[in-house]
Amino acid sequence: MLIPVIQRTGTKPSIDLSVDLAGIRLANPVMTASGTSGYGPEHGKLMDLSRLGAFVTKAISPEPRKGNPPERVVETAAGMLNAIGLANIGLEQFIQEKAPYLEKLGIPIIVNVVGRDADDFIKVCARLESIECIAAFELNVSCPNVSGGLDFGADPKRLHGLVSAVRKRVQRAKLIVKLSPNVTDIAVTAAAAVEAGADALSVINTLCGMVINVETWKPMLANRTGGVSGPAIRPVALYMVHRVYTKVARDAHVPIIGMGGISNWRDAVEFLLAGATAVAVGTALFVDPRTPIQICEGLTEYLTRRGLSSVRDLIGQLR
Amino acid sequence: MQVTADTCAIFHTATVVANQALCREHYRLTLRVESFAPSLPGQFVHLCPITPPPGAYPSEPVGDGPVGNDRLSNASRPLLRRAFSIAGLRNAPSGVHLDVMYRVVGSATRWMESLAEGDSLSCMGPLGNSFPIQERRPLAWLVAGGVGLPPMLWLADALHRSGKNVVAFCGARSAELLALTLDPNQPPDHSARRATPSALEFARHQVPVVISTDDGSLGFSGHVGLALAAYVEANRTATDDVVLYTCGPERMMDSVAAFCRARKIECHVCMERAMACGTGMCQSCVVPVRDEADSAGWRYRLCCTDGPIFEAQRVIWKPIGAI
Repeated sequence: MLIPVIQRTGTKPSIDLSVDLAGIRLANPVMTASGTSGYGPEHGKLMDLSRLGAFVTKAISPEPRKGNPPERVVETAAGMLNAIGLANIGLEQFIQEKAPYLEKLGIPIIVNVVGRDADDFIKVCARLESIECIAAFELNVSCPNVSGGLDFGADPKRLHGLVSAVRKRVQRAKLIVKLSPNVTDIAVTAAAAVEAGADALSVINTLCGMVINVETWKPMLANRTGGVSGPAIRPVALYMVHRVYTKVARDAHVPIIGMGGISNWRDAVEFLLAGATAVAVGTALFVDPRTPIQICEGLTEYLTRRGLSSVRDLIGQLR
Repeated sequence: MQVTADTCAIFHTATVVANQALCREHYRLTLRVESFAPSLPGQFVHLCPITPPPGAYPSEPVGDGPVGNDRLSNASRPLLRRAFSIAGLRNAPSGVHLDVMYRVVGSATRWMESLAEGDSLSCMGPLGNSFPIQERRPLAWLVAGGVGLPPMLWLADALHRSGKNVVAFCGARSAELLALTLDPNQPPDHSARRATPSALEFARHQVPVVISTDDGSLGFSGHVGLALAAYVEANRTATDDVVLYTCGPERMMDSVAAFCRARKIECHVCMERAMACGTGMCQSCVVPVRDEADSAGWRYRLCCTDGPIFEAQRVIWKPIGAI
């Protein structure tokens, strides 16, 4: 009788995808980008969300918002333009209907927060901080599609004031500031956010853009202008991660979540090399909601091929 | 938390069986998938090229040059999926055959036009809700304007199977833009007073049609809403017995909905919106609907997951300003 020979050579070295994001342990560096996964259940029907490094919610404001009229989205070359207008169910309905679902996922939850003034931001953060699974708040100071959204993000003084005010009222959860690319030098707003006490930076939100219908002479979006996302903005986003990392974040030991057109593991590796500790997937989820899992699998293969044992060996290693 | 077999079943690699020109700018794409979850007329599929395309990247690095990072192969491909109503569905020996119909209007539909038998693409579906079929109403009127035709073809099939007496009203701007196969021995009635077995796609389900063209080049001269009115005027059907289903340009559906409101005809509309995800995640494809429970009396519903079929009298047709 033949005894089967066990192929020892087939054993894979274990690859560690975990990262530390300002004290939050992520099992892998891949998360969702705010506003691209609904509140969780919508995406959870299509992918096992517990396999994410973290889940980032749609923006939550104190009161419900209906958002912009349609059309809200149009495809552009290698990207898309959107103006959803921060449509959301509001703080109380989020707590009642969505938080219990997110608690069951067993992964860190990051709530994206939006408001007209500092009091709005504080109201949402203070009310949600007692929910244990919420590891961090991502302050949305950079939405280009609502009045008041971009104002905070483009002015370093106002940004500093907002982040400091929220910082004083948030004890346990970490504060992430989502930076706008619609500025002359993103390092200036990054420095303001860090000085005011941001624990991490999301780089970048969408770029302001528009598309015009040449037959009707009207904008394609009802909101007239929108935010551009997708592969078209990836080189811009990558540059901005590089700039924030080298000018501000590296020395301040503040981690960056890189985002902007990331669609596959190669894109993720580029952002990690440029200085991001984690990456967020947005527009690519609309094409394939399972993209985060594919990125994790691709990262594992890549690290194996490169003889590396941890994804942390990539962070900021740009030559 | 596990993703159930149910949910995984919406992701398909589809193979092109046929891609047939129907009339100017209009095509019928027949796809084969290995299996397809139980589905009903009104539901849609969401199509895009397979990403990355086979062979786009070498599996091993190619030196330090630009080759290993070449992404130009993606440049001319549409990024987002495109939603298409299912126009027909059949079990086939090697899986399920799905029909979708499209008009070439932009980059994504030009990509679809280029597809040939044997090509692969990515297909998500079935998505969305379906047309309700009402037990107690024996008559069904289908009103299709332009590219609103596809869901009506599958609906005609389903209604006929459930024993309904069906009439289809099909409008196009011009005869050359009507994506139907006409029977030369059964010319459509110019007065729209009588439905005739003129279109083979409907006649095979024993459904007669009233055809209208805006320029009068075929059938009734005028838009399909006027053809419907002329038919109703001539036939004096008991409207309690009727359910009307419509799909087409929004202005046309608005006028059909108003026609039904005035005559107390039950009416269901199939809405179209620019969509990014098709699954409720992006919140792009909103339709304003009346909702007494809302403090403003209305709310946005999603065309992709709450629709695309809505009760016509709940839809708010006039544009709403930002709230």
